[in-house]
Amino acid sequence: MKTIVEARNVHKTYGARGNLFTALQDIDLTVMEGEFVGIMGPSGSGKSTLLNLLSTIDRPTSGEIEVDGVSILNMDEARMSAFRRDRLGFIFQDFNLLDTLTVKENIVLPLALARTNLGELERRAHEISERFGIRGILDKYPYQISGGQKQRTAASRAIVAKPSLVLADEPTGALDSKSATDLLECLQELNVRERATILMVTHDPFAASYCSRVLFIKDGSVFTEVGRGETARPLFFKKIMDVLSVLGGGASGVG
Amino acid sequence: MTSWDLAKKNMRGNARNYSIYFVSMLVSVVIYYTFVSLQYSKGIEAGMSSSQNLRTVFLGSSIVLALFAAVFIGYSNAFFTRNRKKEIGLYALLGVRRKTIGRMLLFENLILSALVLAAGIGLGTLLSKLFGMILVRLLGMDAPTAVGFGISLEAAGGTIAVFALIVLATSLHSYRLIYKFPLIELFRAEKMGEPAPRVSAWAALAAVLLIAAGYASALRPIHTTEQFALNMGIALVCILLGTWLLFRAAVPALLAAWRRNKSGFYRGTAMIGVSQLLFRVRGHVRTFSMIALLSGITLGIFSIVYIQYYFAERSTAESRPFSYEHASVDPAFDKSVHSVIDTDAAHPVVARLSIPVVELDASLTNLQEIPIHYYSYAEPGKTVSVLSASAYNEASEALGRRERVRLSAGEAAAIRPMLDDQTYAEYKGKSLELRIAGEKKPLPFVALLEGRVLSWRFPDLFVVVDDGTFYELAQAAKPTIFEVYRVQGQEKAQATADRLSALAAGRDDVRLNMYYSEYKRTQEESGLFLFIVGFLGLVFLAATGSMIYFKQMTEAHADIGRYEVLRKLGVSRRELRRTIAWQTLFVFALPLAVGTAHGYVIMRVFTAGLVGMNFTIPILLSMGAYIVVYFVYYAACVYSNDRILNPA
Repeated sequence: MKTIVEARNVHKTYGARGNLFTALQDIDLTVMEGEFVGIMGPSGSGKSTLLNLLSTIDRPTSGEIEVDGVSILNMDEARMSAFRRDRLGFIFQDFNLLDTLTVKENIVLPLALARTNLGELERRAHEISERFGIRGILDKYPYQISGGQKQRTAASRAIVAKPSLVLADEPTGALDSKSATDLLECLQELNVRERATILMVTHDPFAASYCSRVLFIKDGSVFTEVGRGETARPLFFKKIMDVLSVLGGGASGVG
Repeated sequence: MTSWDLAKKNMRGNARNYSIYFVSMLVSVVIYYTFVSLQYSKGIEAGMSSSQNLRTVFLGSSIVLALFAAVFIGYSNAFFTRNRKKEIGLYALLGVRRKTIGRMLLFENLILSALVLAAGIGLGTLLSKLFGMILVRLLGMDAPTAVGFGISLEAAGGTIAVFALIVLATSLHSYRLIYKFPLIELFRAEKMGEPAPRVSAWAALAAVLLIAAGYASALRPIHTTEQFALNMGIALVCILLGTWLLFRAAVPALLAAWRRNKSGFYRGTAMIGVSQLLFRVRGHVRTFSMIALLSGITLGIFSIVYIQYYFAERSTAESRPFSYEHASVDPAFDKSVHSVIDTDAAHPVVARLSIPVVELDASLTNLQEIPIHYYSYAEPGKTVSVLSASAYNEASEALGRRERVRLSAGEAAAIRPMLDDQTYAEYKGKSLELRIAGEKKPLPFVALLEGRVLSWRFPDLFVVVDDGTFYELAQAAKPTIFEVYRVQGQEKAQATADRLSALAAGRDDVRLNMYYSEYKRTQEESGLFLFIVGFLGLVFLAATGSMIYFKQMTEAHADIGRYEVLRKLGVSRRELRRTIAWQTLFVFALPLAVGTAHGYVIMRVFTAGLVGMNFTIPILLSMGAYIVVYFVYYAACVYSNDRILNPA
């Protein structure tokens, strides 16, 4: 099985001398192909920072990071952009759809940027929109659809180019519970059926319960890790809640 | 802390934002002051022969300039204030009374304006010397007349007055702004554009047709003044409407068509660029239309004036072929003239002739009936001038030309009127008919002569007949003898020209015409207009360039989020820079292109009669200036946008 993410001794500090703030401290992380990994932690724990590092949006202060076998540390800007485009997919909390493009155009944007053959592009668009149940709104603009539909569009966009790794930053943050459930079911199906590797940052234990494994980060380092194994999801949810109560005392980010 | 203190603190903090506004106001002040101080400059006034003309023209232009400045500053101020809506909202939220905010803004404006006026007048003083020298050059004044280096009090006073008014108006406007918007609106983002504006193919087509029709109407050959007015009226309406429709319907339609073409749209950054443009295009319609129309007019006028200036010498040579010409009515006068000209050692006489001309009333000919359009002017009461062939040939030789006319008995030749584009083909088969002493004498036209030999008068009707016919004619109608002289260096013969003018003062009967005075007048007039139109044109260019630039900057700020998403999706910086450059090019080039087309048509209309002149240089110069200035704005815009949207 392929290793998709390999992070070793990753540090990230901000600020100038005398005013240093350590966001991440000696993080080690390995994600294999086909895993659905969740990263949880209170606000300010560094989970979003970690995601930014893994998605090449930011650079670590020290440490090594390899994504899909490629070291992303010393890449120049052009290569990094290409890498992001071809190998990574993103889902953000605030959807980040382009409001000047239709749903369909938003979805195929990565393919268009990579100058994919038109027939192939259309095929993928149909296939994915069918998968996520948004076939009917392909010609609508973002301002015309609901939050749940927007996030599913974003998810479609994230996987349309068949990336090696999907990175999701609080994808259910702005959704109501039904839309959140829909989205998570879609992601889970992706993970199970297509062996998509998904790394999700969240503070919502319900969302985390869909993962196969959850890391807990506190104050820049990994606190603990729980795996789902064969447990049913509701039980896994309870396990996560237990960890959170140990973590926070008055666990922040719950509910 | 008083409003005054708050204002000062604010300004220091807001320095970057203020600098744009400051610079645009400064430029307006400098230009206005420079222009006005030229008007009051003693040196220039003294050098001009017709100072009344100078005064009036300058006054009119300074009014136009003031209007420009008002519009431009108003626009910059609106842009600037809009950017501060959030800041104002914040103050209100913190509990600062609107009255206090208003006072603070007013103080800011006052401080700014005072600074701008001081700096502007200072800079303007320096620049007016430079522009003064350019103007002197254009007017063809010999000695570098001292334009006067010093602050012109009247100019300064005028400038301060005008800009005080403008500042007052803008201050009132921003004051009102505070009261107009409810608090929540100050925090709300700007109105969104439409991602999918409705496009109508019919409207797009109509736009193109209207403009084409307008062009066709303007370029139609005209025969009467009424026709001209009608044609131009139609052209104006068609072009105005067509231009507006072009930007409102045709451009969006084109973009929408591109978008529908999947293979062209789903390709690289085309998706980003085209959708962005389509999104924004509705907001640009008014600005684009205005720029296209006004730049068209400016370009057209500038080209025309420049052509006039460029060909001053040529056109004078056509309208005053000889250096001096007068009718011989009084032997004593003739003698004085002769001696004045002879004693001018600096400009020796090269040729001297007496040309007898029979000036016939047009009713004694059939010219009005000849279906060549210029001859519709041959109404009863107007004069047709008839020359003999040998007199014509003599004159032609004296003028150093090779053209000669050869007429057998009973033949006639016409001399092409100035600024007309007749050809001999129109004359073939037609005859001149002289109706003298009850006889009708038809003289077939065998040639059309290009060289005019006598001064222009209206209507410019000259015909040449063979010597025999002329002799007969001279018996029936007494010819006028024109004494003509050709001297060396006629463009510089000022002293002699002045003396002759003095001699001929009050004597209309001698009909004195001189090359020098006409040349000087044309040069002054066209030089002056060239300067003014060029100056205003440049100002206008700068103003519209700035307007597009500001608009682009505002839109860029609103687009930051979108471009961040694109960066995250993996669009490289180079690709983003390319799409930014392409989109900006679209915004700058489009109105300019349309304006250039309009300008070209306008130029062609008004220079239709100027046959045989090569316009390449004037056209290239005027359009070149436009393109250069706009390119500078374009480059600055791309750079700024790139910095905002594509940060490292």
